[in-house]
Amino acid sequence: MLISTIGQGLIWGILGLGIFMTYRLLNFPDMTVEGSYPLGGAVCVMGITQGMSPVVATLLGVGIGMLAGLTTGLLYTKGNIPIILAGILVMSASNSVILFVMKSPSLSLLKQKKIHDLFQNLNLPDYFDTVLIGVISVSLIIILLLFFLKTQLGQAYIATGDNEQMARSFGINTDKMKIIGLTLSNGMVALSGALLAQNDGYASVDKGIGIIVIGLASIIIGEVIFGELQLSERLLAIVVGSILYQLLILLVIKLGFNTNYLKLISAVVLASCLMLPTLKINLNHKVMKRSEER
Amino acid sequence: MKNKGLLGMMLLLIIIVLATFVSEKQETRKKEQDRETKTVGILQYVSHPALDEIYRGIQDGLAEKGFESEKNLKIEFQNGQADQSKLNMMSQYLLNKKADILVGIATPAAQALANNTTNTPIVLGAITDPQAAHLVADNQKPGGNITGVSDQSPVDAQLDLAKKIMPTLKKVGVLYSSAEDNSEAQASRVVAEGRKRGLLVKKYPVPSSNQISQMVQVMSSEVDLIYLPTDNTIANAMQIVVDIATKNNIPIMPSVDTMVAQGGLATVGINQYELGVQTGKMTADILRNDSQPATTPIYTFTKGDVVINKEQAKKLGIKIPDDLLKSASKTK
Repeated sequence: MLISTIGQGLIWGILGLGIFMTYRLLNFPDMTVEGSYPLGGAVCVMGITQGMSPVVATLLGVGIGMLAGLTTGLLYTKGNIPIILAGILVMSASNSVILFVMKSPSLSLLKQKKIHDLFQNLNLPDYFDTVLIGVISVSLIIILLLFFLKTQLGQAYIATGDNEQMARSFGINTDKMKIIGLTLSNGMVALSGALLAQNDGYASVDKGIGIIVIGLASIIIGEVIFGELQLSERLLAIVVGSILYQLLILLVIKLGFNTNYLKLISAVVLASCLMLPTLKINLNHKVMKRSEER
Repeated sequence: MKNKGLLGMMLLLIIIVLATFVSEKQETRKKEQDRETKTVGILQYVSHPALDEIYRGIQDGLAEKGFESEKNLKIEFQNGQADQSKLNMMSQYLLNKKADILVGIATPAAQALANNTTNTPIVLGAITDPQAAHLVADNQKPGGNITGVSDQSPVDAQLDLAKKIMPTLKKVGVLYSSAEDNSEAQASRVVAEGRKRGLLVKKYPVPSSNQISQMVQVMSSEVDLIYLPTDNTIANAMQIVVDIATKNNIPIMPSVDTMVAQGGLATVGINQYELGVQTGKMTADILRNDSQPATTPIYTFTKGDVVINKEQAKKLGIKIPDDLLKSASKTK
């Protein structure tokens, strides 16, 4: 069970990385993810039930997620719709698209092929295939991201998030950067949606509800626990943060808390994480004061 | 890598994974001996009166067949509260507690359970058509580790009842959530059965509970009767449906008895509690090895109870025929 949670944490980590692209690097919240996440799952599961290979179906899911991000990007930059609103619009539109794609609210993968079958021959113990899928896809994403952010385009992307006005004065097309960011980010979110749908064995129209919290939790836990980091370490910290968050939920379930209050408990934990740096500073001040008094 | 904390944490995670890998590779899976106490793992999708009744029924059904809590039965209960990202973890938790048998209440819960085990028997509570949901190969011969009870409601009897109460009935509107498998299937059956009886049936799907009040407003001006399938979203929002429909003098025919008590006019319903009892009995039989999931057909109720809400009829100014009132099993 620990293993399966770690595996799921890895895959949720991709979601965290996707949200990091917009929330931290570009400094804006993108609500599209609550739509692109179930959309990726729905298209992937539909593809598989239509006889596609799971890998192709997963990539198709990623493609559709990128399309959703692109739409938000165009609404935001070309249509001058505020980013939150643009994201919410695409998110709620996704609901209908999912119903159109699947022709039903949920679709099961029972007795169908999954991406997990790729590792069937390795004869792994239970749930290790999930870990393997997580490790492979997370590594791939991080390597690609690091590569992208080192290129000239990537540097321009980071500069846009740091200081948009300055970036524009350097001749960077900031609108283009935002569109690229939203597209890549939602592609990654859809990837985690597609992989988790295969892991859960079904896709469903309302799977996206509340996932933005899971993504933000990964980012915040990673930042709070590990402090100041280089870019490559920050990406790893998000994935570790995501695993820790899933382990935390597991712990809450294991401790036998009434699971009706699961969301409240995780909110309390997240809020405490967010307050931790402030608490640390206050504590340091007190200690310093006391030593001065002596 | 400069950050020692991050490095340490990653090493720790890697060690956990490797250690489990090694230990699980060496461990020859021991067969669990027949224990005195049996563990039943129950996963419920969300809380609302109908599903809660089923859960209550399951416990009583198990007790009827000699499995009682704190004597020879342990129930591990998890409620997803409609958060699908947790259902998978909760299923694994139940399996980890060495549940001898699993019970899934409502489709998403059942799907999560089914995805996690092909060995531990699973009993389905309140799934309208397990075959259509790809949970079993065939409703008559499930074939795998899954069987259960269907909550398919007797649509034909319900529409007959509606015509008996409202002889002039012409237009029926079906309100349901487009996010649920069960409801869509049932809505289509109402359309088909309605056509046979010369009724005009129109479907009104809503994407989420937020659109229910507008939709009921619209329906109130277009139909003579609102029909509600077994639908979790609508069941949760029953009060708003009742409020608006009653204001507009439109009667409601739900397909579940608990929803009649909440303000529906009447129905021929499968008692949700009975549904749970049947699920509990089926679970007990499999626990005792008296039956196997693979060869136990999905249980479908052939007849239901007539339930009438007299208060609501009075409010709407509808006169219920006396013979109906006499034959009804429950009135309010």
